[in-house]
Amino acid sequence: MSQELRQETAEQPESGLHSKGLSTGTVGVLGLVVIGISCIAPAYTLTAGLGATVAVVGTSLPAILLAGFIPMLLVALGYRELNNAMPDSGTSFTWATRAFGPMIGWMGGWGLIAATVIVLSNLAAVAVDFFYILLAQLTGNQAIADLTKNLWVNIPTTLVFIAAAAYISYRGLNATKVFQYILVGFQVAVLLLFAIMAFTSSTPFDRTPISLDMFNPASVDSFTAFAAGISLSIFVFWGWDVTLTMNEETTDPAKVPGRGATWTVLLIIALYLAVSLGVLYWAGVGQTGLGAGNEANQESIFAVLSGPIMGPLAILMSLAILSSSAASLQSTMVSPARTLLAMGYYKALPPSFAKISPRFMSPSVATVVSAAAAAVFYVVTRLISENALWDTITALGLMICFYYGITALACVWYFRSELFASVRNFFFKFLAPLIGGVVLLVMFFSTAIESMNPDYGSGSAIGSVGMVFILGVGVLLLGVAIMLFTKWRHPAFFRGETIKTR
Amino acid sequence: MNLLVGYTADQRGAEALELAAALVAGTTTPSLTIGIVVPAATPFSAIYPGGDHGFDSILSAKVDEWAVAALAQVPQGVSAKVVARSVSSVAEGLIELAVETGVHGIVLGGRKRHRAGFFMPGAVANALLHASPVPVFMSSPQALASLRAANGQITRMTAFVGDRPGAREVIANAAKFATVRKVALRVATLVADTDVSDPATELDPHLVRTKKFLAELTESMGLQASIEVISRQSLDEAIDSLAWEAGEVAILGSSRLAASRRLFVGAKAQRILGKLHVPMAVIPN
Repeated sequence: MSQELRQETAEQPESGLHSKGLSTGTVGVLGLVVIGISCIAPAYTLTAGLGATVAVVGTSLPAILLAGFIPMLLVALGYRELNNAMPDSGTSFTWATRAFGPMIGWMGGWGLIAATVIVLSNLAAVAVDFFYILLAQLTGNQAIADLTKNLWVNIPTTLVFIAAAAYISYRGLNATKVFQYILVGFQVAVLLLFAIMAFTSSTPFDRTPISLDMFNPASVDSFTAFAAGISLSIFVFWGWDVTLTMNEETTDPAKVPGRGATWTVLLIIALYLAVSLGVLYWAGVGQTGLGAGNEANQESIFAVLSGPIMGPLAILMSLAILSSSAASLQSTMVSPARTLLAMGYYKALPPSFAKISPRFMSPSVATVVSAAAAAVFYVVTRLISENALWDTITALGLMICFYYGITALACVWYFRSELFASVRNFFFKFLAPLIGGVVLLVMFFSTAIESMNPDYGSGSAIGSVGMVFILGVGVLLLGVAIMLFTKWRHPAFFRGETIKTR
Repeated sequence: MNLLVGYTADQRGAEALELAAALVAGTTTPSLTIGIVVPAATPFSAIYPGGDHGFDSILSAKVDEWAVAALAQVPQGVSAKVVARSVSSVAEGLIELAVETGVHGIVLGGRKRHRAGFFMPGAVANALLHASPVPVFMSSPQALASLRAANGQITRMTAFVGDRPGAREVIANAAKFATVRKVALRVATLVADTDVSDPATELDPHLVRTKKFLAELTESMGLQASIEVISRQSLDEAIDSLAWEAGEVAILGSSRLAASRRLFVGAKAQRILGKLHVPMAVIPN
């Protein structure tokens, strides 16, 4: 008798997972805005991305930030459609596989993994820089801040940060609501304070009046500069799409995601404009001294400018960036690990990637591999590039354009039979993702070709090929190699046995 | 008897399951509820750059796999079902499941850890010891070795008591388990010299008093129990000199500091838990 009962329950375990337990319907508009801002991590993205963007577009920075949001928005609309159609498998990898088949799907997943691994290494590096800057500010000993330039100190510290983040995400420890509210509130307040202090400063380094021309995308010198600027500014909005894909977690799925996403982007754009205008007004784009056009300042703009602008309050900026990048480091670690896990689970990678720790219910092999990949990427870039942070951010922009582009087109192709069924479908499943996807892929190819130039990015090169090209395209080619290897050893996925294409 | 197993698909989970099966075997309706608690993601730990990357559905399929494997480990004659629950904390999830399914106790697997001689339960066990409304059974590899030496048969229940008022409840609860499990009951008290202010003159009368108190207590409860009062210089020595049968289970009461019907382990109990090599249960008062 007991045997029967066991058989019966074995087939239908009451997993109850699909109801997602307690998290159902607790997030309101404010909560969603906080989640969105914490995913974007503005303090981190600004310090990492602003300098590199100024380098390519100069005073047109505000225009590029505004323009960069448009493809992001168009692609995110496509994301939302895919997420609603296939809520159980929300990843570029499965979506692109269902739409385009295994090979392109595999590369879409690889692009996402590569982008997140690259951003992990950059997050860790920024966190380490500001860790030492903060220590220097606390102790009043400037020599400590320079420790981060010593590779024997920098690389081990960065590896420790990456390992700690991997351990925390492996243990499945989560940030709480209170923690996120404090973190986000602090970040936004400090960034606003920075902008206000820049504008009210009595001694700007190179006072540059704000002009309407700064908002005009057409004033960017060349198309290649524009493309490079867009692919960088996509990075600063990266993470915003999470607000659109949250549905069942919200108190009112019909209204909250839309409102939350709108408020998040309005707040973020306002914040970005305030800070970037503040930087332009105070520092100008001159190539000497504290000018934002000075290459030495571009890899981490706040590390250079927060001291002169904020004086003793610069310690708040260090704290904001350290906390935002460290928190992002941990939450980002989850992303490539889960995509690797999904790829292992659907046999697109060796099955060991599909291992889940029974105790902590988190990907085990995939988390270790993600952390190791980020560490290796960091060490290699740090050793061979003169200006590693800058080059990684540019390569990251490339990678985001690549996988976002593929995913957006996957949306169009996946829904191809119903695109013209309604006006809504036409706009959200066809037009928006098509334009977004095409724009991003054009940016990808344009930036990739441009980056072969050895002067591109920070100007590091191997042979006569630019560093950014080697990093970005090299990582994609590595993906192709791994894909072909997997296809040879584990062909099931590539025969369409694990994920059905539509 | 129905017990809830705090299950994880690894060695610890298998050990918990083995102990739980031994505990319910031979009772009138032996059944196990195998609880798999999946830590629920809170929306505030949103992943950058967004989406759960299909994790929930993969985890859910994995939990189903684990459930089948867990049921295959349940011995003949014991009915079992798996309940999975997505809650932010494992201990919270187990307590919820225990209350909902009305089980007689929760069984955990674990590893012994010590700090300065005190038993340091794992995070889940620790949280349960502070909050569980039902008895918590804990296994360890050593404890299972003792159980296996008795061919997986529970042979005796030993209730650890002091001479204070809580003794009655602990003995009553231990007796309940001993009765449904149809095994012998032993009542043990450990006395260290430092328990009395002047060992030379007070120790012997104290031991006699304690023995008499326990004898009268068990008799008044209508129980057949062997009584052992062990007196040594230190508590550790006393613990070491208590003899154990293979297949014996130790039962301790939770601290008098605990809120009513909640577990909380006192310093003495923690010391005892750390030194024992048999399966242990802590019973809320």
